[in-house]
Amino acid sequence: MHLTSRADSSLSLVSSSQGTNFAEAMALRSISRRFGSRVLSYRSSSVASLHSHATSFGFQQVKEEEKRKLVGNVFSNVASSYDIMNDVMSGGLHRLWKERLVGKLSPFAGMKHLDVAGGTGDVAFRIFDAVNSVKRRALRKVDEDSLEETQIYVCDINPNMLNVGKQRAAERGLGDNKSLVWVEGDAEALSFDDNSMDGYTIAFGIRNVTHIEKALAEAYRVLKRGGRFLCLELSHVDIPVFKDVYDLYSFKVIPNLGELIAGDRESYQYLVESIRRFPPQEKFATMIADAGFEKVEYENLVGGVVAIHSAIKL
Amino acid sequence: MISILIIEPAITTIIPFSHTYGLCTSSSSSTTTWEGTRRKPRAEFQEEKARVLSASLRHVPRLGWTEEAMMAGSRDVGVSPSIVGSFSSKEAALVEHFMDECLQLLLDRVDSGLDLQNLIPSERISKLIRVRLEMQVPYMSKWPQALSIQAHPVNVPTSFKQRAMLVDEIWHSVGDGASDIDWYVKRTVLGGVYSTTEIYMPTDDSPENRDTWAFLDGRVKDAFDLKKSIQEAKYFAQDIGAGVGKSFQGLMNGVMQTMSTRGGGSSSAF
Repeated sequence: MHLTSRADSSLSLVSSSQGTNFAEAMALRSISRRFGSRVLSYRSSSVASLHSHATSFGFQQVKEEEKRKLVGNVFSNVASSYDIMNDVMSGGLHRLWKERLVGKLSPFAGMKHLDVAGGTGDVAFRIFDAVNSVKRRALRKVDEDSLEETQIYVCDINPNMLNVGKQRAAERGLGDNKSLVWVEGDAEALSFDDNSMDGYTIAFGIRNVTHIEKALAEAYRVLKRGGRFLCLELSHVDIPVFKDVYDLYSFKVIPNLGELIAGDRESYQYLVESIRRFPPQEKFATMIADAGFEKVEYENLVGGVVAIHSAIKL
Repeated sequence: MISILIIEPAITTIIPFSHTYGLCTSSSSSTTTWEGTRRKPRAEFQEEKARVLSASLRHVPRLGWTEEAMMAGSRDVGVSPSIVGSFSSKEAALVEHFMDECLQLLLDRVDSGLDLQNLIPSERISKLIRVRLEMQVPYMSKWPQALSIQAHPVNVPTSFKQRAMLVDEIWHSVGDGASDIDWYVKRTVLGGVYSTTEIYMPTDDSPENRDTWAFLDGRVKDAFDLKKSIQEAKYFAQDIGAGVGKSFQGLMNGVMQTMSTRGGGSSSAF
């Protein structure tokens, strides 16, 4: 697998305002005409595909401003059956994937962690459990610094998802626990301070963000030096026969399950389409590296159905 | 005179980028690593990791060779303890870092004039091993833990390699340049002396580890006696070989003679 060389950093993908995308595309097209190189046309197509992420709602084309609202509607609709649907669609595997994510994170007592788009709290609860069992084990080695309180912030743009999460916390008896903090917020504009988090996770959420680069830039901003970024997301499968099986399952089975169990075919159609529109593993890894992260790696699970990308801010 | 002006075409190589992507595939099944377009090179992670591990050593006597020690070390360096989660082998990383540092320290001591000139080889070996083992004295209370970490099957390849390097460097400093079969024997024997002394040391209560050094001297002496016996064994084997060889040759000659006197047989030998 070879990646071709990149264009000038002034045309870097980390552009922040909507208007520049069009200008960039124009500038790139004129440059590629001058040099006529295959290299830059790869670049312009990559810019175009990212631009397309911001304006794609599954396979539909929508205005950028609208995407956020449309995604919001999807999650308001699915909130109550989100967990059941996850179990049915993945055959319970999503639990293992989240366990793997948290295992990779290696949570520790006293950590400040931010779980973005973590509405119903799956990842947050796992981190909470991991920290408390580690604490119990390490109780005999009391280090003064680690007596700082663990804080796990769960941030989600959709209040319905957060409510489901708070409810689940109450069911587990963690309703009043100070360690879990539920915050409504946007992954592209986090309300947390710079250099305040030891860890940042986003599980099955970054696909729904309008501007991925903004979310990555925010992640970089809030992480401390040495802090880790972990992203669990549905990704691209390349294995020949398995790919076709997976496509069949995605487009034929899942929307029907959505209709049957959640009474909402469109949302699940959006889900499977948005997976196909999301950048593949390597592309996403380069985007993470562009945001400034070091040691960017990814691990494919189930042949690429799911990928865990990890990186460190240094 | 015709002066030929060779006008070279101006070759403008436009390199519109300042960094290229490096694609490194690690040995595991599907994990791949990327460099970005930032100026910070990937080596910075390795440097940061080394700094954290060095700072962690200070906490080892109290916290052991554990993640807690590494997290305390990372706080000393000013980095979030999260970084420890990204080290692939956790505690083993700390122990291996320590072994590498000690080896480097030993080599520095040798280069900067550790007095070896007036000593015979067995004494030089003793001195070098002693210098190396003394580096472990501050961690002696937790050294058995380090040994058990090194003995985990997962960690054995690295710890074996580090010890082989250590033994090699010690022989090299002693002044040994042999490259025959002796090389393996010497490394193995010295490895044995080093390991047994290392294991004896945590049990030693004597002031300034006097008993350990006496033990060490004894083992080195045994090794040199062993070396002599191995040499003798080699000569003995050679003699036997020669003898057997002679008789085989004699047998062959006899067979050939018999065949030629029988007459007519094909002379193509086997």
